[in-house]
Amino acid sequence: MAEKELNCLGEACPIPLVKAQKAIKEIEVGDLLIVQIDHSCAMKNLPEWAREAKHNVETEETGEGQWEVFIEKTN
Amino acid sequence: MSAEKQSSLVSSLHKRFLKDPWPYYVGAVMLGVLNIAILAASGKAWGVSGVFHYWGAIIADFLGASPETWAFFKNPKNLALLNKGFWGNPGSVRNFAIIIGALLASLLAGQFKIKMIKSWRQVAAAALGGLFMGYGAMTALGCNIGALFSGTASMSLHGWVFLCFIFIGGAVGSKLLVKFFMK
Repeated sequence: MAEKELNCLGEACPIPLVKAQKAIKEIEVGDLLIVQIDHSCAMKNLPEWAREAKHNVETEETGEGQWEVFIEKTN
Repeated sequence: MSAEKQSSLVSSLHKRFLKDPWPYYVGAVMLGVLNIAILAASGKAWGVSGVFHYWGAIIADFLGASPETWAFFKNPKNLALLNKGFWGNPGSVRNFAIIIGALLASLLAGQFKIKMIKSWRQVAAAALGGLFMGYGAMTALGCNIGALFSGTASMSLHGWVFLCFIFIGGAVGSKLLVKFFMK
């Protein structure tokens, strides 16, 4: 299982979402995409999109106003 | 109730009400109720960008221009409001309060963060976007609050026209953003 990190710190919406949608196409099923974000609206639209696309999603607050979204590609 | 139980209750309430985003429908109902309050208190539906005419005029006046000669301020009502200054305009107070409220919300959620500027490209995109939005709001005589939100809430056709075109603008803007400002 490979891991890919996507640093979107300092990026405002909708850039983290667009970047994540692009990155998920470049990894294999079963791989993990870790997106680092610090824009609270990305914390809503990123997990929402990934869950809708039926991927496995977990989020973690890594600091004040900073999060990591773990997306396991399932399809 | 034990101290431990109490602190876990506080932290779960904090998470639920201050940290996690509220559902969209809660926001929608609150916006509706608060817009009614503004209408009742001031006799006008809520708007944000209409005040920018006055802020622009105050700045222009400070820099030596004479905004009272502009067509917009030929209307005595508009001129009277301009003469009340920045804090005499209820719209200025509301806009200022929005900023304080947003700051408070992010502080209470423990999510306040001063963000780094990532690149000059990002600064250029933000400045360009701001200019377009400001110009658009001034020529349309309203933004997504005054023209769209208050417009549709009062069953006025102009709000729906605004909605159609904001979608077109948003789609074009997103394409431009991805094409020119995302490396």
